[in-house]
Amino acid sequence: MDRIMSDMPLIRLVDVSKVYHLESGDFTALDHVTLDIAENEFVAIMGQSGSGKSTLMNQLGILDVPTSGELFISGENVAKMSSLERTHMRRDIIGYIFQKFYLIPLLSAYENVEYPLILKYKKRDTSGRAAEYLKAVGIDRDMSAHRPNQLSGGQQQRVAIARALVNDPKILLCDEPTGNLDSKTGLQIMEILCDLHRKGKTVIIVTHDQKIADYAQRTIRLADGKVVAS
Amino acid sequence: MKDIFFDLSVRSVRLNFLRSLLASIGIVIGVVAISSMGMLGTNMQLSVKDQLSADVNTVMLTSDVVKINSGLGAAPSTSTIDQSTLNDIKGASGLNDVVPIHHTSTQFSVGDQNGRGSIYGLNPSDVPKFLTIQDGSNIRGSDVLVGATLATNFNLVVGSTIKIGQKCATVVRPVVRVAGILAPRGIAADGVNVDNGIVVDDTWYTNTFGGLDQYDQVNVVVQDVSTINQTEADLNAKVNRNSDVVRISDASSRLSTISNTLGTITTFIMAIGGISLVVAAVSIFNVMMMSVKERVQEIGILLSIGTEKGEVRRMFLYEALILGIIGAAVGGFMSFVIGYSVVNAMIGSTQYFFRPESLVFIPYGMIIGVVVCVVSGMYPAWAASNMDPIDALRAE
Repeated sequence: MDRIMSDMPLIRLVDVSKVYHLESGDFTALDHVTLDIAENEFVAIMGQSGSGKSTLMNQLGILDVPTSGELFISGENVAKMSSLERTHMRRDIIGYIFQKFYLIPLLSAYENVEYPLILKYKKRDTSGRAAEYLKAVGIDRDMSAHRPNQLSGGQQQRVAIARALVNDPKILLCDEPTGNLDSKTGLQIMEILCDLHRKGKTVIIVTHDQKIADYAQRTIRLADGKVVAS
Repeated sequence: MKDIFFDLSVRSVRLNFLRSLLASIGIVIGVVAISSMGMLGTNMQLSVKDQLSADVNTVMLTSDVVKINSGLGAAPSTSTIDQSTLNDIKGASGLNDVVPIHHTSTQFSVGDQNGRGSIYGLNPSDVPKFLTIQDGSNIRGSDVLVGATLATNFNLVVGSTIKIGQKCATVVRPVVRVAGILAPRGIAADGVNVDNGIVVDDTWYTNTFGGLDQYDQVNVVVQDVSTINQTEADLNAKVNRNSDVVRISDASSRLSTISNTLGTITTFIMAIGGISLVVAAVSIFNVMMMSVKERVQEIGILLSIGTEKGEVRRMFLYEALILGIIGAAVGGFMSFVIGYSVVNAMIGSTQYFFRPESLVFIPYGMIIGVVVCVVSGMYPAWAASNMDPIDALRAE
């Protein structure tokens, strides 16, 4: 199959399996998964612990490659890309929002948001874009000078969202984005994500919370590494 | 543009200030050891060179024949240059000064003090050709010249007397009077080391020690130093025409031998200093590995959001570079201070310390320190950049 396929949904998994070779034997985390996710979809991925949610998320985030099968993102066959090309795709097409926020502890909130711009354009941001995205998620100028450990969980997640958005990615991958937040802050974060979806982003959210999944247009359910409902 | 990876490295060093400081101290010690040892060796070389180059216009001739004393199993005795060879030398030397020298080593006494030193027998007219009388007058009869060190050690002044030869109840030893005191010569490249010796009239010498018309050494003092090689060739052609009768050497070859020896010693002591840099390298490696281990999750974040492996490597190499630059800068300053003290203490003079060939060891040491740091940081940087982002993110 060709490396770049036109006329294809934003994300396509064809018979994708991920097998981990452990001392105790092979463990199949994803078992022949085939699914499409179209541009501007809002998808929730649900399943029990150990069902393969995180493994699927790692595949969609190009942090890992399938053992077998083919994964296309934006028409490109991920398995045929070099390590550097995958890095650039993570930087340019995908925005990550993690449960534990994963901000860079040595950088201020502003610098955390500026960081992806520096990675992409190889220079410090002078356009004011980082500040603009911080403002859009409700982080003011004073707060943006703070280090992550000086911010509340909600504020950190807002900064993480701003960081995920600043390079204008097509896909927003959210791994339990409200998992470490109180319900009120979680609601605010979900409102931001819904708003981003309305503005044209493809939002994929991994959750075990049905209330969160209810925000999505479609729910993919996994069990034992297989898609049981899509 | 301020590089964000450099910024991250600076912040990491600041965050772990004490640990970074301790690692840098290793580099400081290494740089100081290498630089100050190098400066010490170079100052020694420069000092010796200066002393020897005063005599570069002298060709030395010594006998190349070892005499065998008669009798079975007799030990070979010191050989000498005979009168006919001396005449050949004079013939081949042209207008240059020829200085025949008798030389032996013997005991002597000054009052109750006994000592041992070299005795040189010279024609009085040859003395001013290469020796400087600091105080008093030239040798004549049993009036002698004494070296500066000998004069100081035995409190000799003009008019003092010295008994020559081994103290013995049955033999009356000859007594000489100090006519003059020679200026210090240091290590003389012409083989006449008089600082701790006595220069006597050659007639008195042969009357006392024997060896008439038998010379231990002949020096040819050339008038134009640029002709020294030609003079040596002429001497060789004339004196050694049939067989090797004399060994011909000049100060420049001795200078080069001594310089090479001192150069080897300098390299050796610098290598010993270098061991401390190896220890420092291990310390830097350890600190960098700790930094990588402590920042696994951060590395995972960087890699997962699209940081290139090369950029992660750069960040850690910057950290090693910062440690190296701090260590090298402090080490460079300390090298200057400690090097000055060491040179002053070991050589007794710092007149060569500020020469470029001496001071150049400071930047050399600093560069070596920085390079050692960066090389030590290479593996940790490589390990960081090749982490699996998924595993790294899971690390707590």
